[in-house]
Amino acid sequence: MMAILIGCGQDPAEKKPSPSPSAAAPSTPSPAPRAHPVTQETRETYQFYCAQCHGTDGHGKGINASHLTVPPRDHTKADYLETRTDEHLFTAIQQGGLAVGRAPCMPSWGHTLDDNTIHSLVSYIRELCQCEAL
Amino acid sequence: MILPKNYFLIGLFLLIAGGWSGGVEASPALVKEKQCDTCHRFSKTESEKSAPDLFFAGDKFQKDWLGNFLKQPEVIRLAGHTRDPGFSKGTPQYTGPHPVLNPKEAQQMTDHLMSLKILKDAPPLELPALSKGKRVRVKILFERDYSCIACHQSYNLARQPRGGVSGPSLIDAGRRLRPEWVYQWLKNPRQFTTRGRMPLYTFDEETLRKMTQYIMSHKKDSKSK
Ligand code: HEC
Ligand code: HEC
Ligand code: HEC
Repeated sequence: MMAILIGCGQDPAEKKPSPSPSAAAPSTPSPAPRAHPVTQETRETYQFYCAQCHGTDGHGKGINASHLTVPPRDHTKADYLETRTDEHLFTAIQQGGLAVGRAPCMPSWGHTLDDNTIHSLVSYIRELCQCEAL
Repeated sequence: MILPKNYFLIGLFLLIAGGWSGGVEASPALVKEKQCDTCHRFSKTESEKSAPDLFFAGDKFQKDWLGNFLKQPEVIRLAGHTRDPGFSKGTPQYTGPHPVLNPKEAQQMTDHLMSLKILKDAPPLELPALSKGKRVRVKILFERDYSCIACHQSYNLARQPRGGVSGPSLIDAGRRLRPEWVYQWLKNPRQFTTRGRMPLYTFDEETLRKMTQYIMSHKKDSKSK
């Protein structure tokens, strides 16, 4: 019951990264040349939508950050992001934090951004963390 | 059967109506004089400016709120407008205070702004008050399922404002916005902006109404105005 009541505005105790269904399935390792490269448009998309929370440099210190009960993920930190597959990151962006067992403060962008754009954002996050899924 | 006396009444009515619109026409001069159009767009065809668009002000605002705002402006976008060049960095160029109009100017400006509409006159939205149980469920949608609170201030159970600041504060939305506009915004914000930083949603009819009603239930405690 509590889980249902916990929203982004309440005080959810930060959950341990729970393995998402996509992360659990042994999915294809990310190949070196990316199918969805980072373009100027990718960077602009990140600045326009994601920087509100993740900050203009991806450090997680956007203008909403101090008002959220769960801090936006620092996209430059490899130690967490290398434990997540590209599929996990894709689903988090497309369907929001809740869909991957993370906080609801991370909105879903699936109606705003098309799949190719979301794939390229995953590539951009990999560029920011200078990391790949282990 | 129209009697001559009625012709007179109709004529009188037209004269009054004409008189009113004559008064309203004076406002574009006031817009120029006060340089409102250096920051705001008054027509869709102008290029984008870094303050809220006003060409659909008549669809969006409640008249009383608008009149008060022009006399006594308040801060709604705590991090500045989304088109402000310093917005994403948290260093907006515009820091206020907003220009203030005297009561006479404010009334004239309000009449002008309320005449600016882009929505076809839709019938007023009939929204039954939310039951307590329904309210709790929409609150969960607002704070959890749709992450609205991550970008918008609203009230918690203790009536304290909390929430993100990249979107306009909604804590006085029930006095400020017209329900018909909120409904249309939630249905498709692209009717009003070509690009916005708010995610798009595809709500079903029932959720649209519930969400609109929930937003409209946010009112600041009665002010000294
Ligand atoms: C309203 C604030 C907000 C916006 C806007 C936002 N995010 Fe997030 N994001 C968050 C928060 C908060 C988290 C941390 C969730 C957690 O740790 O439970 C997060 C987490 C993430 C994660 C990691 C998911 C995980 O496993 O923890 C990714 C990837 C991500 N965001 C990408 C994006 C992208 C790409 C955009 C822009 C399209 C974006 N975010 C926009 C708030 C936001
Ligand atoms: C220097 C730029 C500037 C000028 C000049 C200016 N405004 Fe504004 N106005 C703003 C900004 C920025 C906001 C948003 C403030 C906020 O949300 O806190 C705003 C907000 C408003 C709003 C509320 C809009 C909304 O969507 O919340 C109205 C109405 C308005 N202004 C009308 C006027 C009128 C009428 C004039 C001329 C008398 C005027 N403004 C002059 C910058 C300006
Ligand atoms: C990622 C941040 C974000 C999320 C999540 C978000 N919004 Fe917004 N919202 C904004 C921004 C920014 C604006 C200003 C216009 C724009 O740039 O799109 C806005 C505008 C609005 C407006 C119009 C307010 C005005 O005065 O002009 C309403 C109403 C609104 N949002 C309601 C909601 C609701 C309801 C939800 C959840 C279903 C939601 N928003 C989710 C960022 C967000």
